[in-house]
Amino acid sequence: MTLFGIAWRNIRQRLLTSGLTALSLALGVALVVATLVIGGVVRDAFASGSGLGYNLIVGAKGSPLQLVLNSVYLVSKPIENISWDFYQEFLPADTRSDGTAGRFAGSVATAVPICMGDYYRSFRVVGTNTAYFDRLSLGDGRSFSFAGGRNFRAQEFFGGVLGSTVAATLGLSVGDRFAPTHGADDGLEHDPFIVTGILARTDTPVDRGVYVNMEGFYLQEGHARPVVAGESAAASEMPAPDQAGGSGTASHPDPLPFAQREVTAILVETASPAGMPAELLAMGLKTTINEGQAGQAAEPVREIRTLLDLFVRPLELLLLLLTTLVVIVSAIGILVSMVGSSLERSRDVAVMRALGARRSHVLTTVLLEAVLLAVGGGLAGWLLGHGIVAAIGPLITTNAGVSAGFFSAAPLGELLLVPFLVVLAVLAALLPALAAYRTDVAKWL
Amino acid sequence: MTDPVILLENVRKSFAMPGGERADVLDVPGFVLARGEQAALEGTSGSGKSTLLHVISGIMRPDAGRVVVAGTDITRLDEGRRDRLRADTLGLVFQQFNLLPGFTAVENVLVAMSFATGKPDRARATALLEAVGLGHRLHHKPAELSIGQQQRVAVARALANRPLAILADEPTASIDAAHQQQVVDLLRNTCTEHGVALLVVTHDPDVARQFPRRLRLEDFNRAGRS
Repeated sequence: MTLFGIAWRNIRQRLLTSGLTALSLALGVALVVATLVIGGVVRDAFASGSGLGYNLIVGAKGSPLQLVLNSVYLVSKPIENISWDFYQEFLPADTRSDGTAGRFAGSVATAVPICMGDYYRSFRVVGTNTAYFDRLSLGDGRSFSFAGGRNFRAQEFFGGVLGSTVAATLGLSVGDRFAPTHGADDGLEHDPFIVTGILARTDTPVDRGVYVNMEGFYLQEGHARPVVAGESAAASEMPAPDQAGGSGTASHPDPLPFAQREVTAILVETASPAGMPAELLAMGLKTTINEGQAGQAAEPVREIRTLLDLFVRPLELLLLLLTTLVVIVSAIGILVSMVGSSLERSRDVAVMRALGARRSHVLTTVLLEAVLLAVGGGLAGWLLGHGIVAAIGPLITTNAGVSAGFFSAAPLGELLLVPFLVVLAVLAALLPALAAYRTDVAKWL
Repeated sequence: MTDPVILLENVRKSFAMPGGERADVLDVPGFVLARGEQAALEGTSGSGKSTLLHVISGIMRPDAGRVVVAGTDITRLDEGRRDRLRADTLGLVFQQFNLLPGFTAVENVLVAMSFATGKPDRARATALLEAVGLGHRLHHKPAELSIGQQQRVAVARALANRPLAILADEPTASIDAAHQQQVVDLLRNTCTEHGVALLVVTHDPDVARQFPRRLRLEDFNRAGRS
C-alpha cells in the first residue's frame, strides 16, 4: 500500500469532514473559474466590438468613451446629435446634393450615419442606411450575412434588420412588424417597421441591435429637428428621388428635408491611399475633427483599451482577489478540518510509527491528504465554475453579445489555479503535518 | 543458548516529573530473549513494563545502556534507522490492538509491509489472515470485526514482515476470559509455527504461567528500589 493509498484511505475514513472541506474548496474554485471565464468573455466582447470594420466614430462633443459605448456597444445614452451638414462633410461628391465632395471625403472610405434614441422591447433601435450592412464588415474582414431575408433597401423607408439575439429573444422573423418606442420602452409608440432580414450571429454587440432605415426613423414623431427662423429655404431642400425614393403618399411618404435632419454618430472607415497606413490617416482625421467645434472623433479600439485598463481590469482584479480570498478561506478549512481530526490522527500516526513508518512517511501522508482534497475539490470546483458559466451563458449572450458556454475558458488563469491550489493546500496542511510529524508515539500507544 | 534476538545491558530510563525532578523507571542491568524463545513478563501497574517494550522496540531511546536487537545496538542508530529496524525485525501487538480503523483487515497487514519493504505482498497478507482464521474477513474494517477477530488481525499484522520477535503489550487485558485463552494460544502457536520469539507483557498470572519462561520486572529492574 503506497503513501498515496494511505492518504486516500484517511480521507475516506473521515468522509463527511473531508467531503465538506472539499465542497467548500470547490465553491471557492468555482467562483474563481467563473470570474476568470466571464472576465475573459467580457473582454472578448469589448475586443470584438472595438473592431467592426470602422476605425473612427464621429459624434457630438463630450465623452469619447460614452460615444463609443453608445455607438458600438449600444449601451449608455447618446451625448447629443451632430448636424446633417457636418455628416455631409464625410461624403463624396456623388452622394451629395450639391455635387461637391465633403471636406473630409478624401480621407474616408465609408461613412455610415446612425441615429439613436428609440427602443424596441429593451433593445436599442438604430436608424441607419443600407451601407451599414453593405459596406461595413465585421472586424475580421467578414461581411455581414443574413440568417434569413436581406438588408432593407433605400426605398423601403419602413424596413428593418434584426440582430440575431433580438430575433431569437423576441421570436421575430422576416415579414413581422415591430413598432419602436420613443426614448424608452414605455415611450410614445412609433409607426411599425417590417423585418426584411435577420442577421446571422456575429458574437458582437450588433446581435443586440434593431436596425431600421433612417428615412423611416426620421419620419417618426420627435425625430425631426425643429426649423428655426432663417432656415426656411434650407429646410425645403429635399433628398433626390433616387436617394430616398418617397412619393408623397401614405405608403410612400416624402423623406424628411435635410435641414431637419441630425445624426447621432458617424461610423467612419478611413481610406487607405497607396503607401499610407489607414491608422495614420485616421489619426490625422481625428485630430482635425477634434480641433473643430462641430463634433469629436474617437477611436473605438483606443477607448475600449482605456475602458479595460481603467475599469474592467481593476474590477476583474478586485473580483479575482475576492474569489481568491474565498479559496484561501476554503484552504483554511483544510487546516481546520485536519487540526480538528488531529486527536484521532495522533493515535493512527502512533500506530503507523510503531509499525515502522518514519516521520517523513507521516508528514508526506498528511500533506498528500491535503493535496488530494485540493485536487478533488479543485476539479469539482472547476466543473462547477464552467457549469455556472454555461448556466448564465444565455444571459451573457443577451447582454454582451458574445457566446459563453461550458467550454468557454480562461486557459492561463485556469492552468495557474491548479499549482496555486496545491501550494495553498500544502501550506494549510503544514501545521497539522508537522504536528503529526512530532507525534509522541509512546504517549498514544 | 542460541543467539539472542534481544539483549539489554545496563539500560536506564527516567522521565521528568512536573516538579522538575526525574523519576527513574528502568534500571535493567541485563535482559536476554533468545531466538524462538517465548517469555511472559509480569509486573505491577506502573512498574515500567510498557516503557521496557518501547525501549526494546526503539520507540523510546534509553538514557544509558545498550539495546541490541537482531545484533544491532539500536541506541547508536538515528530515529529513521530505528524505525526501519523495528519494521524489519519486530512485530508489535498492543493492548487495544490498535488497528487502523479506516483500513480493512488485509490493508492493516499491507500497511505494515509498506513501511518495511515498501513492497506490500497481498498474497502473503491474505495467507497470514487465513492462517489466523480470517480468510472470510479480509475486507472487513475493524469496526465490523469482533474483539477476537481484531486481535487476530493484530497478530497477523505483527507477523507481516517476518519478524524475529513479537512484543505483545497486555494483549489480553481488554478482552473477556473466554477470548483470553484464544489470544494466548494464537500468539504462542503462531510464533512457534513461524519460529518467532515472543515476549508478552502481562499482569495476569494465569496468562503468565502458560509460558515456559516467566519473569517479574521487579526482579531485574532496580529502578525505584531504595
